[in-house]
Amino acid sequence: MISKLPRKGIDRIRWLLVVSVSGLLLAMLLPAVAQEASEDLPYIPTVLITGANRGLGLEFTRQYVDRGWRVIATARRPDAADDLNALAEKHPGLVIIEQLDVQDFDVIDALSEKYADTPIDILLNNAGINGGARNQMFRKLQYEAFDEVLLTNTIAPLKMSEAFYENVLASQQKKIVTVSSSEGSIGGATQPRLYFYRSSKAAVNMLMVNLALQLKRKGISVGMVNPGPTDTDFMAGLPKSMLRSPTDAVADMIRNIDGLNLETSGTFWQYDGTIIPW
Amino acid sequence: MTKPHDDNEQSHVDRREFMAAAAGMAAAVLAAHETNAAGHASTPANFAPEDRVARPVSAGSRILITGANRGLGFEFARQYAELDTRIIATCRTPDKATALQELAADNPGIVIEKLDVTDLENIDELATKYAGEPIDVLLNNAGIGGGAENQIFGKLNYPVFFEVMSVNVVGPIKMCEAFRKNVEASNLKKMITVSSSQGSIAEVMMPMLYWYRSSKAAVNMQMVNLALQMRRRKVIVGLVTPGATATDFIPEPFRSRIPSIRQPEVAAADMMRNIDRFTLENSGSYFNYDDTVLPW
Repeated sequence: MISKLPRKGIDRIRWLLVVSVSGLLLAMLLPAVAQEASEDLPYIPTVLITGANRGLGLEFTRQYVDRGWRVIATARRPDAADDLNALAEKHPGLVIIEQLDVQDFDVIDALSEKYADTPIDILLNNAGINGGARNQMFRKLQYEAFDEVLLTNTIAPLKMSEAFYENVLASQQKKIVTVSSSEGSIGGATQPRLYFYRSSKAAVNMLMVNLALQLKRKGISVGMVNPGPTDTDFMAGLPKSMLRSPTDAVADMIRNIDGLNLETSGTFWQYDGTIIPW
Repeated sequence: MTKPHDDNEQSHVDRREFMAAAAGMAAAVLAAHETNAAGHASTPANFAPEDRVARPVSAGSRILITGANRGLGFEFARQYAELDTRIIATCRTPDKATALQELAADNPGIVIEKLDVTDLENIDELATKYAGEPIDVLLNNAGIGGGAENQIFGKLNYPVFFEVMSVNVVGPIKMCEAFRKNVEASNLKKMITVSSSQGSIAEVMMPMLYWYRSSKAAVNMQMVNLALQMRRRKVIVGLVTPGATATDFIPEPFRSRIPSIRQPEVAAADMMRNIDRFTLENSGSYFNYDDTVLPW
């Protein structure tokens, strides 16, 4: 629930009174508190990254922690996430690993309850699946694969945004970012392939554009980034010469995320900073 | 909305198979990048002169319409029947489709078939029944809105998302798979899907209808892929939009709040005109009811 504002007349007036009085008190107290806090501890921004155990998610974790950020790094199986665990050992307190399968919305809700009072500067929806090319060939379409691709790539990012909305709102940077794909560009399609993967990305782009408009008034910016073809497990088997390094891909996406603000909210960025057409 | 944890999720991805697609993907990304930099679009496909000629629906054309019992589907059936076409009019519960039954009673060219587009076996059965029979226009009209109240950020109803996807995206592409040979064997060779201007990502001005909108963006993507896929076989794939129409699809009180709302007979006529416009050359286009091309 976003709005807890009571709807009935008396309740509402009473509630507003309480809010304004407590707001006034807070406003008087806050500068002192903030000043004190800033003397002791500088603000450490937090990013929550889904699918942080490998590939782009792992590299995002590495680069954000190198910047001195705190990373809530989620993975389906933390016990099997060796590289991520090593990173967490190297940066105690800055890399926090959490178990999360983005397909399981109950677990998303439980995690958001656990972090109820933690500001999250960037919610980074990185987890994604391709659904398997052989499931997506016309005349042999495997529709169960479509459900799974839609669940992970399309609605999990929106569910995460819904669940961690308050955390993002309470932060300084207030950004929700989804790793999309240029394969999701309808106008950019020149060869038929990956029916499910592509439509899951077109669909998530649509959701994020709606979300950008929805949250603008709240000061939250929403963006989509594209890594380009990258040398990760996701693209396993391709000749290396066709692929970019995860280091470059993530550095490029982080630069675009840095450039995300309320004015550019709702933009779908190519890794080189150009805009990808829908 | 919980799915069992699947530890083997990645293992069923056949890497060699994916490789081919991914190679194309990478090449396309790089190529697109280069052409953008050079400032020109990708090379247009070569079309024979007849591929550029629009061939309209005419007497004797055979048309399969899904969701033909009411609203736009019924209007399609009524107006196409006036052209002396032969119509396979499908709906979920023919017993209750009294208007359609009356229409069929007056028009011997109309055959009513029971079909729920979310039932993939049902689609296959119907396709088996019509095996070998040419179908000039496969018209994917059936669609649902999902209810505005289920699509409000903060109280999103996720199971409804899958219902909307099932009717609006899976239904149309499955119909195209199942009736592919029928369309290929016909004269007009058209696979048309009723999309919506709500599916245009570029035109979103206000946040609403998350599920409905993303289903239409998703079906647009699938049909654009299909247009590319079927080009060699001379099958034309198209997307049309009705505009906001006064049917059960837009319930009250919303309906009376839209001043520009259109009558179903006008909306269907506009779409029929645009369906006639499709050629192999403009296959994969997204034609708005006013004859303009919508941006994705």
